Amino acid sequence: MTATTLSRTIDAPAVRTAPRPQETGPAASATGVAVTLRGLAKSFDGHRVIEGLDLHIPAGQFVAVVGRSGCGKSTLLRLVLGLEQPSAGRIAFDTAGALRAPTKRIMFQEPRLLPWAKVVDNVAVGLGEGVPRAERRTRAQAALAEVGLTEKAGNWPATLSGGQRQRVALARALVSRPGLLALDEPLGALDALTRIDMQDMIERIWRAQSFTAILVTHDVAESVAMADRILVVEDGRIALDLTVDVPRPRRRGDAALAALEGRILDHLLRERAPART
Amino acid sequence: MSAVSFPRLRVHAARFVPWLVPAAIILGWQAAASTGLVSTRFMPAPTDVVAAGWQAGRSGELWTNLWVSFLRAASGFLVGGTIGFALGLANGLSQLSEKLTDTTLQMVRNIPHLSLIPLVILWFGIDEEAKLFLVAIGVFFPIYANTLHGIRSVDPQLVEMGRTYGMSPLTLFRRVVLPGALPSIFVGLRYALGIMWLTLIVAETISASSGLGYMAMQAREFMLVDVVVLAIVIYALLGKIADTLTRVLERTFLAWNPAYRTI
Repeated sequence: MTATTLSRTIDAPAVRTAPRPQETGPAASATGVAVTLRGLAKSFDGHRVIEGLDLHIPAGQFVAVVGRSGCGKSTLLRLVLGLEQPSAGRIAFDTAGALRAPTKRIMFQEPRLLPWAKVVDNVAVGLGEGVPRAERRTRAQAALAEVGLTEKAGNWPATLSGGQRQRVALARALVSRPGLLALDEPLGALDALTRIDMQDMIERIWRAQSFTAILVTHDVAESVAMADRILVVEDGRIALDLTVDVPRPRRRGDAALAALEGRILDHLLRERAPART
Repeated sequence: MSAVSFPRLRVHAARFVPWLVPAAIILGWQAAASTGLVSTRFMPAPTDVVAAGWQAGRSGELWTNLWVSFLRAASGFLVGGTIGFALGLANGLSQLSEKLTDTTLQMVRNIPHLSLIPLVILWFGIDEEAKLFLVAIGVFFPIYANTLHGIRSVDPQLVEMGRTYGMSPLTLFRRVVLPGALPSIFVGLRYALGIMWLTLIVAETISASSGLGYMAMQAREFMLVDVVVLAIVIYALLGKIADTLTRVLERTFLAWNPAYRTI
């Protein structure tokens, strides 16, 4: 697609927030979209889930949103994606130099693959409509290669393992080169080792494609390992906004990360403690 | 277990296993008839049935009747199946359509369609329309109910995925809803095929001047038990053919589903 190639050739490394010394090639140029929320609110049946939220996410940033279940973090993600309409406030997207409206993609908690479509056709779903047949296939194949599943292109999803299915879902989300990737606890159902593999894979692809990423998770360790910035959401508000100043690639079990994780956990646990007694 | 230690033998044997019981029944039947254990006046020997089939086949009577019955079954199935499928789709996809028609259809569904025979004879006489109408009604409900159920049971998470990935309503239907409903639609198809034969035979037995059911009734009048049994055996074969056909369709269209990959 012309728009994609255009936006890829635009060089805007200044937009990057975190320094990435390892990457200097053209792939590192920013294609991410900046997201700005102003006075965002959402209520269901009079019950307020999100209350007057202001937030700016610079293009290409990796943001993790953590919080207890029911704190409104998933609703926040659905609002940003346009899956829900806000009760008040507005959401603005800003793509530096891009000609089209930004492509936003989501990776769900479940892979949500079409069981009746071969793996490669499932990935091609991510291209949307209006892409010629031959191009669909080559792009889908390329996306599969990126998640290391080239040889599974002709398989039915039912024959894949849980981790492989989630990798296909990742390829589907990324095949259209989105400006924004939303991840709604996509690794929650995976075993611990597969989780770590997937985290590394997502981080690697994010660094190569530099889209803006919003990861919703209840796993604090996952958020500190992956994100540039962590938002702790409580009762529909941002209670804590932390920057993770640890260079990549990050080592698991790093002391700085552990300290940050401890701080966030303390905050989450302390908040609820008086309510219980 | 010897079956486990000879896997190849097992594969070959597995093909014949379903036919063991029918073969044993026919052998026992032949033995009973030959030894005079069962009077051939009531139950002809299998060889007699084969002979009757040979004769009816040579005179061409069998093929004409078979063809007439097949045409009735197929046209009734086509009419009833199409309407049932269309209404199932409409009611599965549109709340308005469902509110408007589903209650009525569920009420009518509980009427045994064969109870309409007297009314149908009054309306259409014993002409082709009567059979077509009965078969169409009989086929309609299983197709309708299973199409509707299939569409309703499509995973809403997949539908949401399709929407967020920008599928148009038509694409969403073609790529998500219809394939998701297909297993259930096939269940309806199987039921409908069974009901199709049942209805046709009953209709032909009661009032017809041609067809398999008519052939059996004529034979009864002349005490030709072998022809009566021949007709019944043909029903069994036709049922098996219809079932095999659906299996082939299922294996083709539901290849993605692990439940249909073998057998």
